[in-house]
Amino acid sequence: MNELTRKVDASFSPKSSPRGSRSPMANQMLSRNDSTGTLKMTISAGKHPAVVHSGPFYLMKDPATENELTGANNLMAHFNLEHSYNKFTGKKVRDSLSSFLPTLPGIIDTPAHLTNSSLRSLIEKPPVFKEFTLLNQHQLAAFRLHPGPLPEQYRFMNQPLGQRRHRRHRKHKYRPGETPTQDGSGDGTDMHEKKHKKKKNDDDKERKKKKKEKKKKKQKHSPEHPGLSSSDPSRVGL
Amino acid sequence: MSSSLDQLENQLETFIENVRQIGIFVSDFQPQGQQVLNQKLQNLITNMQDIDKLRNAVQEVHVPLEVFEYIDGGRNPQLYTKDCMEKALTKNEQVNGRIDAYKRFKAMLLVELSHVFPNEMTRYRAVREELS
Repeated sequence: MNELTRKVDASFSPKSSPRGSRSPMANQMLSRNDSTGTLKMTISAGKHPAVVHSGPFYLMKDPATENELTGANNLMAHFNLEHSYNKFTGKKVRDSLSSFLPTLPGIIDTPAHLTNSSLRSLIEKPPVFKEFTLLNQHQLAAFRLHPGPLPEQYRFMNQPLGQRRHRRHRKHKYRPGETPTQDGSGDGTDMHEKKHKKKKNDDDKERKKKKKEKKKKKQKHSPEHPGLSSSDPSRVGL
Repeated sequence: MSSSLDQLENQLETFIENVRQIGIFVSDFQPQGQQVLNQKLQNLITNMQDIDKLRNAVQEVHVPLEVFEYIDGGRNPQLYTKDCMEKALTKNEQVNGRIDAYKRFKAMLLVELSHVFPNEMTRYRAVREELS
């Protein structure tokens, strides 16, 4: 195995530069008539003509011209896009299309391929038409409708504009004087308040119950209601 | 350009409003409303004609095709802008790091070469200064 690799190595041993006569050493060997030292390029003709700057060092090229604007700069700041960047990354962008176009009627959040109404298909297969012309009487006859309401599933057009927005407003309702927070801490206080209110309601109920019981006891012992037992709910109500 | 875009936006809004009204109108259609419906349909065509007239004014507006994927998927197209900006920032940082690494590599290479080939490097520096 070792022998084999050695053989292979030996066979691949470069005896001359792969670039051939482009090497400055090879140039010296060829003894060009360049005593002045000004010739710093090799012009190769043939199938792929090229000018190779050889210079005093092998493979030395002119330094690359530096662009004024490179990745070393903060490009976001350079193009004044920091504000936009902060705007999009600072707050959570809602995922649905309806949140971007809240005034658009109908259900627009469903994937377009389900309804065969994608914008991509419009680009891939553009509709063929000459121009828009007003409909004549015959064409309008095709739009003669039957009176009566539409079936329920086709009535999404009846949704009032901005209904979704209203719902959202209700969700993020906050008291005057309070500032809405993005991390949802405002919702937390609301929840706390709701719990508190619930507790208050429960207390009120208990108090009312106790009052009722007291009343019943009084009625029980009063001479006006002699044999009314509290275990008979149908009669208590009366 | 912005005025033509505003115009287009207004025209589209008018068109959408017209469609919405037709939607409401036909959802509970009354027999005497046929004439009104016909008029609204003709208005719709006029709206489309107006939109078509603005076509040449917005020829210069280029929209990335990827945005359509977001819209077709029922997603907010602003997410595309957000993703693009995040990607651009990441790429900017990556390239910045690469440039920095190459600069350091060049400096280290020059130092090491100067140790090993002091004469050649002196000559090299002289040539470089000549060129620059």
